[in-house]
Amino acid sequence: MNAPNQSPNWIFGAAAVFWKDFRLEFRNKSVLGTLIIFVLSTLFIVLFAIGRRDLSPEIEAGLLWIIVLFTAALGLGRTFLSEQERSTGMFLRLHTQGIMVYFGKLLFSFLTILCANSISVIVYLILLSIEVSLTGLFVLTMILGTLGLAGATTLLAAIISQTARGGPLLPVLLFPLLIPLLLSAVEVTQISITVQPSVERAWSAATGSLITMGSFSGVVIAASVLLFDYVWEE
Amino acid sequence: MPRYYKLIRITIIIWMTLVLIGAFSFGGFLLNIPNVAMLEHTARNLYFHVPMWFTMMALTALSAMHALQCLRTKNIVHDIRSSTAAQVAILFGLLGLATGSMWARFTWYEGTNIWWNFDPKQSMAAIQVLIYGAYFALRGAIDDPQKRARISAVYNLFAFVTVPFLLYVLPRQLESLHPGADGNPAFSDITDPMMRLVFYPAVVGFIGLGWILYTQRVRLSRALLKIQTINQQR
Repeated sequence: MNAPNQSPNWIFGAAAVFWKDFRLEFRNKSVLGTLIIFVLSTLFIVLFAIGRRDLSPEIEAGLLWIIVLFTAALGLGRTFLSEQERSTGMFLRLHTQGIMVYFGKLLFSFLTILCANSISVIVYLILLSIEVSLTGLFVLTMILGTLGLAGATTLLAAIISQTARGGPLLPVLLFPLLIPLLLSAVEVTQISITVQPSVERAWSAATGSLITMGSFSGVVIAASVLLFDYVWEE
Repeated sequence: MPRYYKLIRITIIIWMTLVLIGAFSFGGFLLNIPNVAMLEHTARNLYFHVPMWFTMMALTALSAMHALQCLRTKNIVHDIRSSTAAQVAILFGLLGLATGSMWARFTWYEGTNIWWNFDPKQSMAAIQVLIYGAYFALRGAIDDPQKRARISAVYNLFAFVTVPFLLYVLPRQLESLHPGADGNPAFSDITDPMMRLVFYPAVVGFIGLGWILYTQRVRLSRALLKIQTINQQR
């Protein structure tokens, strides 16, 4: 267990785990369907709560990321719990290494959240009639933010699948850890939806936060790779 | 060993008494603190607030170190040490937060009636306490001691690697009035040499106090564990 998993075909193993999850999801569309309905109803609750008011870009960016965060906490808690419920965890443990499972699940979580987020972002931007002035920056923030979110959540989802009454625990474990990512993401989003006189200056203002988000994702994923075996192996 | 323990304990208790006398000695020849405008006698909080933080940081590092040891050796004693260090760290964190908030209320925010203004150091401390709160919520959700040791050690280390991001991100986005931040003068520039006569012993004393609380709780938990194993063997 302490031996490093340096099998050359771990990418294929991860792809197989991802493909399994993808096909299961495609068959009954449980996670994504629930997530999309959840995103839409959260959006409408937020919109009804703020009413017809002009919000500053800070608040718009903050609300958007709160919706994203809640979507992730709801959607990704099931990643490993579903293995537990179908009693397929042991099968996976026998046939794959921890690192394959981790990366397969990470990829699946990343794509699920990216999918749900794209829908919520598009609806949010249309309903609040927000002009995105720097589309490239906005999309990059969304992708980097989702990567950090999926990276942190995958290990924690594995952790809560080991607890007795896991479900509600995920947000408790997740939110304090995500504050650095959230703060940077809100800052960059705010820059990208404010009208900017100079594109270069806006990008250079956002660089620090983008680097923070990228390195946060990197560190979180690296730590997960090192720690995942301890959670996964029984 | 227990005899030395008692000796060290009584030394720390006497030491802390002397520190308290030093901290509250008004009007004597010695230890008369300079009267700085706005700070006035609140400067005496330096003897409490700062050492409390040092103690908390030391205990945080200790907790993470034992979490690592716990994963490497699978010895339950390291889990006891790690979680006890976290418990005492929460205590000192809350005390540091309370003393800091009070200090800020009567100096930085004098006349404004606010206790909390999202200063980076305050936010940092609050998040740290939240993380340990989540850590204990996680421990409460796992019944098997071996599993609890393993899983909570993973969370402890995972949270530990995200903390440097907080140190980097928060000060960039929020302004600080705290000494040593944003070009504010650091401790060494503004502190009267007279105050160091009490401050340095106070640091030693508080770390010693943290050590007493930590070791006593560890001894208690180990004794309880021993009783439990004896009862199970019967």
